[in-house]
Amino acid sequence: MSFIVESSNLTKAYGGRTVVDGLDLRIPEGSVYGFLGPNGSGKSTTMKMLLSLIRPTGGEVEVLGQPMNRSTRRQLLGSIGSLIESPPGYAHLTGAENMRIVQRLLGLDDAQVDFAVKTVRMHGQMGKRVREYSLGMKQRLGIAMALARQPKLLILDEPTNGLDPAGIEEIRELLRRLADGGVTVMVSSHLLGEVDKTATVLGILSQGRMIFQGTRADLFSAATPDLLIDCSDPRRAQSMLARAHGARLEDTTVRLAGVDSDEATAGVVTGLVAEGIGVHGVRRDEQTLESVFMGLTAGGGL
Amino acid sequence: MNALAAEFSKLKRSLSWAVVVLLPIVLVATGLIMTLIDGRGLEDGWHTLWMRSIVFYGLFPLSVGIAILASLVWRAEHRGSNWNALMAGPTPSLQIIIAKAAVISVLAAIMQVIAVVTTVALGMIGFGLPGFLPPEYLAISLLIILASVPVAVLQSWLSMQMRSFAAPVAVAFLGAGFSAFLLVVGLDAAIFISPYAALSRATQLGTATFADTGDITAGVIAAIIAACLLLSTLLAAANTVVLERADART
Ligand SMILES: Nc1ncnc2c1ncn2[C@@H]1O[C@H](COP(=O)(O)OP(=O)(O)O)[C@@H](O)[C@H]1O
Ligand SMILES: [Mg+2]
Repeated sequence: MSFIVESSNLTKAYGGRTVVDGLDLRIPEGSVYGFLGPNGSGKSTTMKMLLSLIRPTGGEVEVLGQPMNRSTRRQLLGSIGSLIESPPGYAHLTGAENMRIVQRLLGLDDAQVDFAVKTVRMHGQMGKRVREYSLGMKQRLGIAMALARQPKLLILDEPTNGLDPAGIEEIRELLRRLADGGVTVMVSSHLLGEVDKTATVLGILSQGRMIFQGTRADLFSAATPDLLIDCSDPRRAQSMLARAHGARLEDTTVRLAGVDSDEATAGVVTGLVAEGIGVHGVRRDEQTLESVFMGLTAGGGL
Repeated sequence: MNALAAEFSKLKRSLSWAVVVLLPIVLVATGLIMTLIDGRGLEDGWHTLWMRSIVFYGLFPLSVGIAILASLVWRAEHRGSNWNALMAGPTPSLQIIIAKAAVISVLAAIMQVIAVVTTVALGMIGFGLPGFLPPEYLAISLLIILASVPVAVLQSWLSMQMRSFAAPVAVAFLGAGFSAFLLVVGLDAAIFISPYAALSRATQLGTATFADTGDITAGVIAAIIAACLLLSTLLAAANTVVLERADART
């Protein structure tokens, strides 16, 4: 597999505080890479380093097979579209005037601009000033500005932030279409649900560290779902297992975390039966990606 | 240059145009109204008029005006993520810096034209002076336009760096005031260090006021031109080096 973005030990510290810590990013060409993490986990900082907007304290970045640094960035940035933190756009100008600025800066032809505007479905709004745009329209114009150069790589920082569900769905659908068209997309979010269904690869960040990177299937297999036990005396079972497995009682079901093998499961059941507790149900919790994500980011990781 | 065309597109509906038109009219008129209030006439006709309008204007209002234009041009960049977007594009830093300074310089040039037109109109209509503004002042105006360039480069840098509207304007006010003082005490070499001094010096040319002897010599003109080219080049180069090293701050 070839990677369009590769970083090794990418690190950024501000005044002694490390906010991005030794990232080895691997973004496969043609993927939609969902970059997830709570607010303040270092997503924007990482994306800025990929674009050389800020310089790493340590480590390296390779984009499109070439090192990304201050001497190479201008040449590489012609093939990278980006939208960092909030959508750009000069508020006193119309959408069309903003696109013309991009067109002039990048030396694009009319067809490229038209295509980008149509892709984000903004062709009906181009005569309006950006200050009159809704947030969703600003996001879409920002994406059009990033798209017009027909980038190989698109880096979008929380493009669904502040959008209503319809707006979020529209961006998701747009990302899918772009990926189908061969553009590699890196998209960040602090909400898993916003990128869950579109991302083919996930990178999960917590306090500046990458705690998971891989496909959705990898993620499920990396996390152990809770064990749920139904028995004749749930109260006594809970107190028996409280110490060893942090057992909690939910209605009449006992919930155990961290029971990660068949042997361990059998051991728990044997223990209950030996105490004269009848076990009539043993199952694994149904796990959503959301609960895996929450577990990972709250608990500090794998 | 593509960056230049892009910069000029950003001036549409910009508040800068109001500054460009109103500032010189108000200041030139102010200088002359003060003359009337004082009860001093225009003893030396057009020459006195030029001194009370353009030389007064060149002491500090002109630099402050250029500073306001720079802050206005940069204000749009500092809003939201516009600056990030520009820095995340392929336009080389030097081109961005030159394009910004060029836009501010062009606005400053138009401001100078309006100041001269206002002076001429007030002279002919307001004071009923005979004839027309002596032609050497038109040539000096071209020199003033050139001398606005290093101030534009410096103010563009300050506005880029400070991300504030008022702070770079305050710097221009203090810098121009101090430079005017240096010229008054006869430190002519200040024009090679302070862009504000170079600009003030250009406005005083041929008037025998402050640092000027009244004679327009080739030596003085050459010194002013050299100072402007030197300062503009050095400031733009230094700004580029700093921008290439710095982290984007939004
Ligand atoms: N310029 C800066 N100076 C100091 N700290 C910063 C700077 N930029 C970001 N940080 C800190 O780095 C951490 C990560 O920020 P950020 O990358 O914006 O997180 P995210 O995008 O995941 O919300 C935060 O704690 C933030 O306060
Ligand atoms: Mg962020």
